[in-house]
Amino acid sequence: MGFFGFGKKENIADMVNALPSSGITVLSLKALDFIVPGGWSNYTNFDEMLRSVTRENDETFLASVKNRAIELYEDSSQGYQSAMRLYRLVDSTDKALGTAALADKMSEKFSLLSFLTYLTPKADKAQVIDLTLKLIAELLAFTKINGIPGDSFNDFIKALGEYAGESRMRMAGLVCFDGLIPLGAGFINFSLKHLENFTPSELADNTTFKSMRDEIPGDNDSDKLGFIRRGFVETQGWMKGFIAEHHLSANTVIDKIRAFVDVTEDKLDYLAAFLDISTNYFEHTGTQTLAARLIERAVNEI
Amino acid sequence: MIKFSKQRKTIIAILLLSLCLSLLSCGSKDEVSIPPTTPAAGGIFNKFFPKKTGDADIVFIQEKSGFAEAKLKKSGKEVATLSIADIVGRSGAADKFNSMTIAGYPAAQSGSQGTALLVKNRFQVQVRSKDDGFTADDRRQWLEKFDLRGLENLK
Repeated sequence: MGFFGFGKKENIADMVNALPSSGITVLSLKALDFIVPGGWSNYTNFDEMLRSVTRENDETFLASVKNRAIELYEDSSQGYQSAMRLYRLVDSTDKALGTAALADKMSEKFSLLSFLTYLTPKADKAQVIDLTLKLIAELLAFTKINGIPGDSFNDFIKALGEYAGESRMRMAGLVCFDGLIPLGAGFINFSLKHLENFTPSELADNTTFKSMRDEIPGDNDSDKLGFIRRGFVETQGWMKGFIAEHHLSANTVIDKIRAFVDVTEDKLDYLAAFLDISTNYFEHTGTQTLAARLIERAVNEI
Repeated sequence: MIKFSKQRKTIIAILLLSLCLSLLSCGSKDEVSIPPTTPAAGGIFNKFFPKKTGDADIVFIQEKSGFAEAKLKKSGKEVATLSIADIVGRSGAADKFNSMTIAGYPAAQSGSQGTALLVKNRFQVQVRSKDDGFTADDRRQWLEKFDLRGLENLK
């Protein structure tokens, strides 16, 4: 949780209002619009989101909903703050570089060449664990935001099938920016192979894992690694289906990214590193998901 | 909406339910009774929701402390949300229920898109339109499809 000036605590409305309407994160997400055509609205104004989600216009009524949404987020026992923490943890954005990239933007595009000295392509192993931890964070955040809806397996499966809008966009980002672009078309099998050889001590050295260790089930790092492996294995089918459904390949996604990043063939290795440190798509769309669910609940509770 | 195959849905559900069991230590929902001064676990409300009929599907989407919510879908399209919220301990939350009754319970409009009724002076049952074709009459009809007597007898 951050604090604004004068000691004012940041609430969920402030968080949405602080989201950018432009910049590399937004451009990157818009590049994936072909996967979720028209399905994602980049809400950067909480009140606008409030009117859209509730379909209401009465200001007094909307103020009550807003207050309740803020109140629900503030109650740490509700799990919403933990979900936000997870979304933030798995983005490794270097905000200074993101800002520098914006300042150095040439004409309509960012020039990757300007940043090569700052960029180091991640070792495959590090990329695999980043991808996997994002996937685990998504599963954990889902349960923290929505609980475990319904009384049966079938009920719960149906709840998962409702992934839409910004949640679907976040999953598109996961598959494209953390899978296809850095690791190529075979990233799922490649990741599974690496995960098999990964050791608990290697996991323990990972910065993101250190931050989210307490959130991952398991008594020790060995158990937690087992859980992470199982998470990836169990969701590989979904990722393969997503790629097949949208005919995704590294080339199709890179072509979309080239609309706003100038990158030559011999420097493609650096593109994933650039996106990694200059975007925070998990936090961005995660904030929108959280706000939408809070509004949905609040309007039903007031 | 992400299209999951049946097999994929099953494995994801198994994974997430294992998460649930690990993290939340979910107990049997039937064993839960309603605490007198704090919100009841949302899961105890599920059985009082309307049941799926014909082309109307009920998809549970949130289950939090004192709250359960489902989407009402017709022919695959979301037309309304259905919810039960425990308003115990929230002063003033019941004040709006003074203008009408539905199925014998105090009821009220909730904004322009919602209709709610109050059971046992603490359980707010609400139906909200998500589609222009889902009218106030539809909301009233769907409120009456909840097991309101069952909810009233919750111990």
